[in-house]
Amino acid sequence: MAIERAAVIGAGVMGAGIAAHLANAGIPVDLLDIVPTGADQRSTIAERALANLKKAKPAAFMQRRAARLVTPGNVEDDLGRLAEADWIIEAVIENLEIKRDLYARIETVRKPGSIVSSNTSTIPLAALVDGLPERFAGDFLITHFFNPPRYMRLFELVGGAATRPEALAEIRDFADRRLGKGVVACNDTPGFIGNRIGIYWLQCAVSEALEAGISVEEADAALGRPAGIPKTGVFGLIDLVGLDLMPHVLASMEQRLAPDDPFHEMFTVPERIEKMIADGYTGRKGKGGFYRLNTAGGRRVKEVIDLATGDYGPVRRPRPASVAAAKRGGLRALVEHDDPVGRYAWRVLARTLSYAASLVPEIADDIVAVDEAMRLGYNWGKGPFELIDRLGTGWFAERLAADGLPVPALLETAAGRPFYRVEQGRLEFLGIDGNYRAVERPEGVMLLADIKRLGEPLARNGSASLWDIGDGVLCVEFHTKMNAMDPDILALLRTALGTLGNEYRALVLYNEGEQFSAGANLGLVMFAANIAAWDQVEAMVKEGQETYLALKRAPFPVVGAPSGLALGGGCEVLLHCDAIQAHAESYVGLVEVGVGVIPAWGGSKEMLLRWQREKRRPGGPMPPVAQAFETISLAKVATSAAEARDLKFLGADDGISMNRDRLLADAKARALALADGYVPPEPATLTLPGPSAKAALDMAVHGFRLQGKATAHDVVVGGVLANVLSGGDTDVTEELDEEALLALERAGFMRLVRDSATQARIEHMLETGKPLRN
Amino acid sequence: MASYNTPLRDMRFVYHELHDLDALAELPGYEEATPDIVDAVLEEAGRFCSEVLAPLNRTGDEEGCRLEDGVVRTPEGFVDAYAQFVDSGWNTLSAAPAYGGQGLPHALDLMVQEMISSANMAFGMYPGLTEGAVNALEAHGSEALRATYVEPLVQGRWAGTMCLTEPQAGTDLGLLRTRAQPRDDGSYAIDGTKIFISAGDHDLTENIVHLVLARLPDAPHGSKGISMFVVPKFLPGTDGGLGEPNAVSVGSLEHKMGIRASATCVLNFDDATGWLVGEPHGGLRGMFTMMNAARIFVGVQGLGLAETAYQNAATYAGERLQGRSLKGAAAPDQAADPLTVHPDVRRMLLTMRAYVEGGRALGAWVSSALDTGNKHPDEAHRAEAGDFVALMTPIVKALLTDLSSEVTNLGVQVYGGHGYIREHGMEQLVRDARITQIYEGANGIQALDLVGRKLPAHFGRHLRTFFHPVQTYIEAHADDQAMAPYVGPLAKAFGRLQRATMWVAARGLADPEEAAAAASDYLRLFGLVALAYLWARSAEVALGQLDGDERDFYQAKLDTASFYMLRLLPQSGALFSTMMSGAAPVMRFDASQF
Repeated sequence: MAIERAAVIGAGVMGAGIAAHLANAGIPVDLLDIVPTGADQRSTIAERALANLKKAKPAAFMQRRAARLVTPGNVEDDLGRLAEADWIIEAVIENLEIKRDLYARIETVRKPGSIVSSNTSTIPLAALVDGLPERFAGDFLITHFFNPPRYMRLFELVGGAATRPEALAEIRDFADRRLGKGVVACNDTPGFIGNRIGIYWLQCAVSEALEAGISVEEADAALGRPAGIPKTGVFGLIDLVGLDLMPHVLASMEQRLAPDDPFHEMFTVPERIEKMIADGYTGRKGKGGFYRLNTAGGRRVKEVIDLATGDYGPVRRPRPASVAAAKRGGLRALVEHDDPVGRYAWRVLARTLSYAASLVPEIADDIVAVDEAMRLGYNWGKGPFELIDRLGTGWFAERLAADGLPVPALLETAAGRPFYRVEQGRLEFLGIDGNYRAVERPEGVMLLADIKRLGEPLARNGSASLWDIGDGVLCVEFHTKMNAMDPDILALLRTALGTLGNEYRALVLYNEGEQFSAGANLGLVMFAANIAAWDQVEAMVKEGQETYLALKRAPFPVVGAPSGLALGGGCEVLLHCDAIQAHAESYVGLVEVGVGVIPAWGGSKEMLLRWQREKRRPGGPMPPVAQAFETISLAKVATSAAEARDLKFLGADDGISMNRDRLLADAKARALALADGYVPPEPATLTLPGPSAKAALDMAVHGFRLQGKATAHDVVVGGVLANVLSGGDTDVTEELDEEALLALERAGFMRLVRDSATQARIEHMLETGKPLRN
Repeated sequence: MASYNTPLRDMRFVYHELHDLDALAELPGYEEATPDIVDAVLEEAGRFCSEVLAPLNRTGDEEGCRLEDGVVRTPEGFVDAYAQFVDSGWNTLSAAPAYGGQGLPHALDLMVQEMISSANMAFGMYPGLTEGAVNALEAHGSEALRATYVEPLVQGRWAGTMCLTEPQAGTDLGLLRTRAQPRDDGSYAIDGTKIFISAGDHDLTENIVHLVLARLPDAPHGSKGISMFVVPKFLPGTDGGLGEPNAVSVGSLEHKMGIRASATCVLNFDDATGWLVGEPHGGLRGMFTMMNAARIFVGVQGLGLAETAYQNAATYAGERLQGRSLKGAAAPDQAADPLTVHPDVRRMLLTMRAYVEGGRALGAWVSSALDTGNKHPDEAHRAEAGDFVALMTPIVKALLTDLSSEVTNLGVQVYGGHGYIREHGMEQLVRDARITQIYEGANGIQALDLVGRKLPAHFGRHLRTFFHPVQTYIEAHADDQAMAPYVGPLAKAFGRLQRATMWVAARGLADPEEAAAAASDYLRLFGLVALAYLWARSAEVALGQLDGDERDFYQAKLDTASFYMLRLLPQSGALFSTMMSGAAPVMRFDASQF
């Protein structure tokens, strides 16, 4: 049965977030909760949850419209609605009796073949279905989301002995393709994979820090950058998760884990934490947690708790010698270092990694699932087995033994061999039987990382590489810092165009960085501006225009495949593609005005053309100009691919991939579909209104200025943008070609970049990462 | 013996006409620096230098310093000259009035320093080092240290030194070994040997205050483990007088190529008493406070020597009769024509002149930014001036001292054999100038400072303070026909500098060795473009004054500017090509074959 409608019961943070994300996938969903005693508004809990979802930061919905798909209700009056649902998700409190009562009620109304799942984080499936009807057990499984459901990619899937294989396959496929999740099959054990290891690790990091007198900053400095678990540091993560959640999860785990499980050493909630929770320091949602923002005296000072005294003080930046050593010598240098922080890092890693290693095959069939779960669910840079490989399995086992710690059987099996190896360009992992097998990707998943293991790029420079991704399709990968566009990337794009023809018939722009491209390399522009090398700045602008125009007019299809940020120059390159296949989590915008310039690599022109192509718009030359002006002058950034479509960064025909891992395959398929009989677009012409339109736009900007919504330099930048978009000195009797628009963009950019107020904006952005409002 | 006539006309030109430094009098604290006062100071200082200091230059060089019973004796006449120097207040021109200084701009003080260096560079070493010590103590010393030391130093009763170098630690101060052990009373016991200590001991002042870099017991390795200490020759007494001698002794005097009247000592610290200046392990900051001012001073020393070489060579060439003009006899009634008829002699004289006058304009530009950076009421102006000084300090130091070496050598060349013998003092200028390329950070280190620190900092923010005014100037004069002969070559060379700068930034980021291999050529290219800008502006001033009373002076400016643009600035092309060849020609050579 295809999933076309869903219901979520339990409108807490998780349930509501899951409902929102189902809506993001276009699925109508009922969100039900109990009727509070004595409430007039019987669905008030779900209604308030929906209202909060709309305000959530980061946003729970990918676009406003999606909220309309969520219908609030209550489990007394609206239980009958469950009969419509193909998938019913239970996300109520972690109480076995309450859950089982609810299942009994669900069973009375749900339609045959519908699937029921629990979002429990700790309770095994066997306990949940024990004694329930066979039909229910056959349709029941555990689907464990992580918070926040839209953003955390881990999706733990647990089937029971009675669960129908088709039901498991249905949910696996839906979660993967429609919800974009990384589905990890778990065995039916308490806490599954993520929380079993993750909570153990958090407890371990806190209690070891308390014991060794390690400060919060030192712990984060050691476990953050060098170990990458997580990149943000461990205490910041607990603040995000919520300190008060930990005792609940711990209690539930304590109840269910085998008595000899090492986890039992971890169950005591430290006094310091208990006191913090009692005082309302429950994390970001409360007054703060280990870190807090002190806004007293009108200044925002980030403070941190002294674990020994409980007092808060300004955050310091410790530089332990062990962390410095790790910069050069890697993770092993960190844990081998004999300073307090190095010893601390070793204790935490030794206990956490060996615990993780001891849990396979109990919690999962293989190490790949465990690593994937910790990366996707707890933001670890590398999973536990990947980390042990960095230390060396042999070294790690010896050191454990030397410290009198138990050496897990799997490490004995490895016998000094790595958990992962590359054989003939293929990634392999060590099975529990001691044999290596290939890491399999699901059908339709294509990773550039895998392709890169197979061989060398066709071309490469310091900023980008050109890969053959099969079937005559090329891929340009950016690899600068934040994937900022620079002359080397432009050069490689031209190389790619030169390589097309004969064997190769389509090009995909894709990379596996966190950001597709955060914009042009401002540092380079700033440097050139600082030495007044205006001819070189202009040459860079021209080079970008020519390269992007060449992409557009090439006799081959070019598909842009963004994920993460695609801003400024990184957005402009997409606007020149024949098609875009965007990851749902793409944040797209022309933000140039924030640094006092305008889109000048053809972006202003392309936005005009996009609005001009729009069928449902008022007639005349003015509306596209006004729309493009609004989008660019307000530096609107789409916070999802869906929103990018509303803002016209994506066209109606452009595709969205919910799953990051499927983006490349989807983009490649699109490129191949376009390649047959491909005809490049005709050079476009524009009829623009000229000075009268500029005058109208200028007046609007002055209005904002008077209201205090625009700054003095906003007026200058707005004026230049208005001049470009309205076509300069043209009038409606004249047709302008693309080159004419590019010349206007270039002149406008050069006018602005020479302005000291623009230079101040660029400098401020580079120095502080924040825009300057001058 | 070389004589010295203060180039007052050119100094006034630079101060009043080219840079309009009279505007400095508008900064709070510099109200005294009116045009009248400035001219009076220049004139009097010039008189003192030519009448008192210059006559001691040759004798000081011949006689040198002597170590007698552990005490250094300066050459005959130095003690008396120093007393006069202090009495006249030449050491306190730019010092703060609170300590008895006169509160005049550094721009003016550095012109006086140029005169002193022209007349007698070795003499100038003694008060010159004191100023660096004052700067470091003022910036980093505790209140108690400042109260004890600054006033007697400013007033010239005491003198200062900078004790950095050790036998094994020259440019690489990370190798320092001198130790500082805390004592119970808050002082430190200093142990170690310092070499090359200028003015390390002498008989000019009653006390000498050594600023010593040393390591505390818990110091980290390398240059981050260096602390600064003040170690006086005589411990301060209770009533402002002198107490016991400290355990600092002169091991020996170095025998040097030049500045032989300057006492360069080996100093032994043997359980000597010192006090910490600034933070523990923060000595490098204190050292840079001394160094930055000192580096500009060294550039000006080079300029001073070059000036003396030029004016003596010019006079000599006008008087010395040898050969005939190739166009026929210019002075048929004499046995031969003066040297100035010969193209190659003129080439040498004009090269000397163009570098000296251009260098003077550069020194004043940068030193006036020191004043703006110190005194301007607006923070943004102070910060910008600070950026400019930081950027230009290595250029002033290295360019002016490299040019000084070239100019003083040309001075010998114009004199021929008479330059090579000691009698005329021209060879002394070459010897004296040579050290300026070495001390206060060898010129190669200056170039690395420029490309490694100043250029990449804040995405090139320091560069803006130079490139933007020059670019604006070029654009403003793009259609000015009269200025075309000056602005045209400037624009061409400036374009090379821009491209070279982008190249260094991009290459240097990828491979620091590329930037390092290009550094010295890049610095010289930068410096020559800076001189070109100042020569263009000088020409602009001169063009406006050709109808006045001083036509000859301004015409000479124009002709020198023209010579610079056509005969010296074209080096920029060769420098550009040289550095663009990259590091490979320098680095691929097998070191075992050296």
